[in-house]
Amino acid sequence: MKQIIKLKVNGVEEEKAVHTHQTLLEVLRGEHKLFGAREGCGIGMCGACTVLIDGKPMSSCILLAALAEGKEIVTIEGLSEPGKLHPIQQAFVDHNAFQCSYCTPGFILSTKALLAENPSPTAEQIRHYLAGNLCRCGSYYKIQDAVLDAAARLRAEGANPTRTA
Amino acid sequence: MEMSAVGQSHSMLDAQERVSGRINYVLNVEQPGMLVGKILRSPFPHARIVAVDVERAERLAGVGAVLTRRDFGPTSGYSGRYGRIFRDQSVVAFDKVRFVGDPVAAVAAVNEDVAEEALSLISVDYEELPAVFDEEEALKPGAPLVHDPRPQQQPAFSKLIQDLPPGTNVCSHFKLRRGDIESGFRESDFVFEDIFRSPAAQHVPLEPHVTVAQFVQGKLTLWTSTQMPHAVRSQMAELFNLPQSRVRVIVETLGGGFGSKGSLRLEPITAFLALKSNRPVKIVLRREEEFVTVCKHPATIRIKTGVMKDGTLVARQVTANFNTGAYSDIGPVVARNGGSAMSGPYKIPHVRIDSFAVWSNVVPAGALRGFGVPQAVWAYESQMDKIAEQLDLDPVEFRRKNLLHDGDLFATGEKLADMHFDELLERAAASVNWSPSDARWLNPDNSQSKQSPLRRGKGLALVIKATITPSTSSAAVKINEDGSLNVLTSSVELGQGAKTVLAQIAASAMQVPLACVSVSDPDTDLTPYDQQTSSSRTTYSMGGAISKAAIDLKRQLCEYAAELLEVSLNDLILEEGRVMVRGSPSRSISYGEVALRSNQGNLIGRGAFSTRGGLDLETGQGIGSVHWHQGAIGCEVEVDVETGKIKVLQLTPVVFAGRVVNPRLCELQLDGCAIFGLGQALFEEMTYDDHGQLVNANLGDYNVPSFEDIPWKVNSCALEHAESEELHGIGETLLPPVMAAVGGALYNATGVRLCELPLTAEKVLLALRNGRLRDQDAH
Repeated sequence: MKQIIKLKVNGVEEEKAVHTHQTLLEVLRGEHKLFGAREGCGIGMCGACTVLIDGKPMSSCILLAALAEGKEIVTIEGLSEPGKLHPIQQAFVDHNAFQCSYCTPGFILSTKALLAENPSPTAEQIRHYLAGNLCRCGSYYKIQDAVLDAAARLRAEGANPTRTA
Repeated sequence: MEMSAVGQSHSMLDAQERVSGRINYVLNVEQPGMLVGKILRSPFPHARIVAVDVERAERLAGVGAVLTRRDFGPTSGYSGRYGRIFRDQSVVAFDKVRFVGDPVAAVAAVNEDVAEEALSLISVDYEELPAVFDEEEALKPGAPLVHDPRPQQQPAFSKLIQDLPPGTNVCSHFKLRRGDIESGFRESDFVFEDIFRSPAAQHVPLEPHVTVAQFVQGKLTLWTSTQMPHAVRSQMAELFNLPQSRVRVIVETLGGGFGSKGSLRLEPITAFLALKSNRPVKIVLRREEEFVTVCKHPATIRIKTGVMKDGTLVARQVTANFNTGAYSDIGPVVARNGGSAMSGPYKIPHVRIDSFAVWSNVVPAGALRGFGVPQAVWAYESQMDKIAEQLDLDPVEFRRKNLLHDGDLFATGEKLADMHFDELLERAAASVNWSPSDARWLNPDNSQSKQSPLRRGKGLALVIKATITPSTSSAAVKINEDGSLNVLTSSVELGQGAKTVLAQIAASAMQVPLACVSVSDPDTDLTPYDQQTSSSRTTYSMGGAISKAAIDLKRQLCEYAAELLEVSLNDLILEEGRVMVRGSPSRSISYGEVALRSNQGNLIGRGAFSTRGGLDLETGQGIGSVHWHQGAIGCEVEVDVETGKIKVLQLTPVVFAGRVVNPRLCELQLDGCAIFGLGQALFEEMTYDDHGQLVNANLGDYNVPSFEDIPWKVNSCALEHAESEELHGIGETLLPPVMAAVGGALYNATGVRLCELPLTAEKVLLALRNGRLRDQDAH
């Protein structure tokens, strides 16, 4: 059975007809054609499908689409403006903090949530917060460097907000 | 303008796409009118198929095709049988199923829900057969036969794999005979015998296997997650009775592979669904299906080593049984590769190795990062530690005494060059500040505080590994009228950074800026032949092909430039994207202009790089590898003796790399090897129940290393050698020694010696408890 729901994805609200049992990940990939969220395990263990729901990182593979109605959904595609990467993305590029990069959008979105909660995390806090995102290629050390660097960049921007315009 | 791209830590050329979620994985491929494919799998480990009834499934609205054994056989014109070495696999099960998860039927339908419903409407009658799961049980007389009659062998492998008699589960037998094993053991002061076991483990590439298949006017196009586009093309052409030109294999970026995306996987089943439904079909495996598609070989290795009192190795005999599961896949080559590595990086005059691939009723095993060598190193390096203890020797000194050097012969009889084990061992030992008293047996009054439950220990291990030999890569380098370069290659980008590294090699060879170079994705209609993206061979082998193509292209540039500049060929030099007249720099012409004015449209250089070698079937003597990958790991662990949990404090992987093309990407792969190995050392194991049913086929029950499992620091190090211009692949070398290094450190910390991976807290705790009980008995 399908129902019409209103989903606000990356700032744009649209009506979508979805099955009641469809996950948010299925709708994002199938209806919105946003391929940055990816299934890795299907049970909320690997973090490859992470999106931000009202700013909190959630596994979109185990969240029913209908339950995301009325919430702000941000995917990796909504993070950057055209032609300009978000500072977290830029830090991941500069450190080459990935290999196959299938997990990268999930890591970046979790990082965004982490830095919103804690702008100056220690390495231990980064490891703990990002433990729900798996990188099978084992790029963890470069990811840690990128997150520390991104935090510093965001703090610098915060101190000098005109630069983010 | 920066001209020497080689040696620079460039970020991946497609890094921006990768961090913005826009990179195109095979997973993203969609075609108009595409159906969704789903596979019905066997619930039994071994059963005869009595009947398959698909009538209700076929009648379901929205179903485009149902594929069963009826679609194959003489009347259909399709044999449906395939396999790289033995044709022991079929598109769907024909007469019987051989493991829990074996594909029995498949459907293509308008969406996932309809496809699932159609699967539920297929009824299959099975007659259960006795099954065998363990490699040693499978070899016993009277064990149920997994394949009977013995499957046909592909002719291409007749020089690689011996023909064996029918009536057993032995799939292949690799033999290595060097010296005289009997007299070797007679000469030895001591002979040690041990058994080491490794379990099945998963690759867990985060992107699952994906295939999209489409027939247009009798031509099959496949977008598929494969590390071997050309091997997929040739096997699919054979399955569909098509010329290879009418099978096109396109490979977008992969979200990891680690060997799992090697042989045919989903391609046959998806393509037959596409043929039958006359629609494009896509199959994406669910994670639980990944677990029953391919895995690391479980292995039981019996290793017997003869040694003199002073620690000189004299003789080694090994019987290795690699459990290749229900289908052979590339198992015989894994057993050969693991088998031929059993003497390790040590001089041993008398060696006798028998390495078997064995069929059984579990998930088929195939290539996994390391290709048989992880199982081998776990056995031989663990035994090296045990022998050192028995002889009361420092394990570092004991290893050093026996290391291979330039000019020594390997167990295969080939003369070795460019050996660096002295330095590798030195580095690994130094990384943990090794001193002889770190060996538990050389430090009887172990000074560790007994107040705390935490015990520390150090360990190290060495590895020598072949790269597939012989092998062939070819490439084309095309120069455009603006002087930019297209590199045409069938190397697959699976996260190792192949496209970036190959672009660096091309930019360096052609003396152009990296930004001018674009590297293709594989497309068998357009890109030249490459054997495979595996065996750590891309940088070396495809890099070699690109370098040769660049030489060809530069020759063409000079020939046309000589005409245009009216000078002799010998007067020309190539620099910074221009052809110049030697001695008069004002007379020059850009590459682009040469291309434009050559009246050729563009200029294309081509190059092929191939290596020769091979081992004798009876003796295992010959050329095992064009060059040898060499590495060492040093590690320190902290073990909680109250919980048994091992915490790895630091890992130092050191590899010999010859010359590094991109230090940062190299470091990422070395870190990756160490962490991948750590998972297999500490907790990765596919667990079966007594009925051959996998019980942990998901990422909740099967854990892979997360941020909280890794050491505080991994100090990856690639040794370069000023005299060595050769590039060595580094994608696998440092995985195999991790397990033995951790195992050795566990022993030095606690006195617990485990011979079966993984080194779980439960096993450690049980061994500690048993040890305490023994101590009490002794008092």
